[in-house]
Amino acid sequence: MNEEQAYAVVGGRGSMTVFEIYIKTTPERLWEAITSEQMRARYSFGVGTASEWTAGSEYRAGVPGVIDIASGENLEVEPPRRLVQSFNALWSEEVKSEGTSRVTWEIEPVGTSCRLRVTHDQLGEDANSELYGGWPMILSGLKTLLETGEDLDTPGSLRYSGAAGA
Amino acid sequence: MDKVFKALADPTRRELLDRLFERDGQSLSALEAELPMSRFGVMKHLRVLEEAGLVTTKRRGREKLHFLNPVPIRLIHDRWVGKYAQPWASALSDLKQDLENEKEQR
Repeated sequence: MNEEQAYAVVGGRGSMTVFEIYIKTTPERLWEAITSEQMRARYSFGVGTASEWTAGSEYRAGVPGVIDIASGENLEVEPPRRLVQSFNALWSEEVKSEGTSRVTWEIEPVGTSCRLRVTHDQLGEDANSELYGGWPMILSGLKTLLETGEDLDTPGSLRYSGAAGA
Repeated sequence: MDKVFKALADPTRRELLDRLFERDGQSLSALEAELPMSRFGVMKHLRVLEEAGLVTTKRRGREKLHFLNPVPIRLIHDRWVGKYAQPWASALSDLKQDLENEKEQR
């Protein structure tokens, strides 16, 4: 699939942001880190994402009883290369009012590494930057986890870990 | 990481990143119109930013759009700055939480 075809759908409403990172890992391990609830929590502010990861299935991210972070539908699920999700932010009234946007994860092997590209689009014009502002920290933590097996522990990166039942 | 520091060492390139921060997803023509510089000059700087991973591009129809990719800067932050900020920032966020809880209790 060339780039032009891949993004032919872009350009309806609203704005779009793109985040890219190179991670020394395989597409399979990267896919697992994105779709495993436990692994996800280790680089996403301590928040896991639960889903069956089939096309049309729902997903939910949050810490039960503490905070809801996001929910939506898995629109396209093509392991280990491509995941498209609708995205509803839930962590505050402000972000809830922003409505539904879309997140596309694309994994491209490059040599012994992978390029991961996260495109967050279908955002409204002048969308609240909180909606997409967490991606750099999440992707940096994902790289740390896959390359070193360790958790990134910079401020805020594990904000909600251990919060359940606290 | 050398490429990131080199790319950031030039004021014009920082200016380009600022423009993309203000409005993400711009074409070369749009960026060129805002800067007192030739199309070739802007292209050259964009290429350095792309090679450093600070700018990523997508095609939309005939246009190539440029997006700010702040992830490499985040990696630098997490490698050096984050370590120093850890105790400081968590103390501040505890303080914030205490103050906010107090406010709620009133």
